[in-house]
Amino acid sequence: MKSVLLVDDDLEFSELACRIIEYLDCDVYCAASIKEAQQWLSTQTFDHILLDFMLPDGSGLHLLDYIQSANIPSSVTMVTGHPSVKNAIAELCNDNVGHLTKPIDADDLKKILFTTSHKTKVEGKRDSKDYTRHFGCLIGESEAMKEMYLMIERVARTDANVMLLGESGVGKEMVAQAIHNASNNTGDRVSVNCGAIPKDLIGSELFGHEKGAFTGANAQKQGVFELAKNGTLFLDELTEMPIDMQPNLLRVLETQTVTKVGGTKSTPVNCRVVSATNRSVEEIAQNKVLREDIYFRLAVFPITIAPLRERKDDIPLLAKYFLNELNQQHDTQITMSRPDLDRLVQHDWPGNIRELKHTIHRAYIMADLRHKCLVFPDTLDSPFSRRSSATTQADCQVVQAQDQLINKPDIAVGTTIEALEKELIYKTLDSVDGNKTNAAKLLGISTKTLYNRLNTYQHSH
Amino acid sequence: MEVYNTMQYKSELEEIAHDARKPLNHISMNAELLKIMVDKSISPEEIKKIADQIILSTKECSNTIQKMTKL
Repeated sequence: MKSVLLVDDDLEFSELACRIIEYLDCDVYCAASIKEAQQWLSTQTFDHILLDFMLPDGSGLHLLDYIQSANIPSSVTMVTGHPSVKNAIAELCNDNVGHLTKPIDADDLKKILFTTSHKTKVEGKRDSKDYTRHFGCLIGESEAMKEMYLMIERVARTDANVMLLGESGVGKEMVAQAIHNASNNTGDRVSVNCGAIPKDLIGSELFGHEKGAFTGANAQKQGVFELAKNGTLFLDELTEMPIDMQPNLLRVLETQTVTKVGGTKSTPVNCRVVSATNRSVEEIAQNKVLREDIYFRLAVFPITIAPLRERKDDIPLLAKYFLNELNQQHDTQITMSRPDLDRLVQHDWPGNIRELKHTIHRAYIMADLRHKCLVFPDTLDSPFSRRSSATTQADCQVVQAQDQLINKPDIAVGTTIEALEKELIYKTLDSVDGNKTNAAKLLGISTKTLYNRLNTYQHSH
Repeated sequence: MEVYNTMQYKSELEEIAHDARKPLNHISMNAELLKIMVDKSISPEEIKKIADQIILSTKECSNTIQKMTKL
């Protein structure tokens, strides 16, 4: 999902533009002044920045100077409501700076976000010589990874369903993206977390629904199978889907058609299903967490992703990649010492790549700015990583129970209303894939209020 | 004095044009949003809200034009 920063002091324009951009499947953030925009840019990276020419605390050109001098890699589009300054802005434009005149429409936005962002994407891939991104998203040169690249290449040419097996944090979603990138699919990759769909909505989520199909179905909705038409449907945490809900899925896989809830017309399904689970095949069979018929339909081509401890050769590459990303984002040149790198290689990484990434991020935050080097904690173990090192069945159940707890707000006496509100907002956003309009609706607040809250949280760090 | 008056008139006219352009932009973008919402089968209630916004913007624009006639 592309991220966009919209800098404009016309709040009504911003709200409208945000809604249109969200409908284009982009993640959008707002700033009403240069100062606010700089605050966003200091904490986050954006694929694209839409920048108003006249802002309350200066000209958009000042922010453009800041973006260019800070080497922020985002593409920029200057937006103006004054046709008279259009020509002046046009002269400023180059490969990375475009312009639009208000009113802007969805086609204009689509053109600039998806054409220029392609360029950004290519530029973004200007990696260090230390590593190569395979299929545009995978890093690693170990034997285990090379074997997997071959499997991805082969299976991508076919339309076979793939099941990804691997511990939590090994990068299953990245592998699903790699399969999608390597295929000739023209559609999108659509992801759905099977463990997070409410039981009552499973049919609606998978197949969509017709208007009036049930209370609250105010409009027709497309299901994930339809959204992934000619593309890839990624079913994450497949084995977390309750067993009594699985026949819904089986029906689509068997008939290769979907019928919207409350509808009569069936639509053919044309997408590759890539499913993922952090359970082993033995565990799936023993614990009966997945129906056998579904397993055989989805695991036509199973790929097991090796845990990081079994491909230690990749640890330095990944560590350098994560550090490089942070350096690029913050325009810094922090380095990593050889002894630290050796320590990273020696560690077992029970939380896999996710844990490594967070460890690098932590060390980056704690970096010694005088010597420009990462500062790691004395011990790399964390309570979380010890928990995720669970390999026995009993331990796995504990981890699952803890995962379930994450979805429940931890209301402890002494927690402030503000803290709870923040947690609720972020969890709601997560549940709707970051779509702020939908999150605001669920929360019962206006989109503007949600933006204000997010802005406050971002800047209170 | 006449030059000053002409400049003053032009400046006020530009300001009003700017004020009128703003609601017009909103009308246009709300209409754009309506097109998308219809394609996405969004509820009629939501669509009505957008239509109300358009009506509000037209009133705002009309008031601004009224100011222009008083110049």
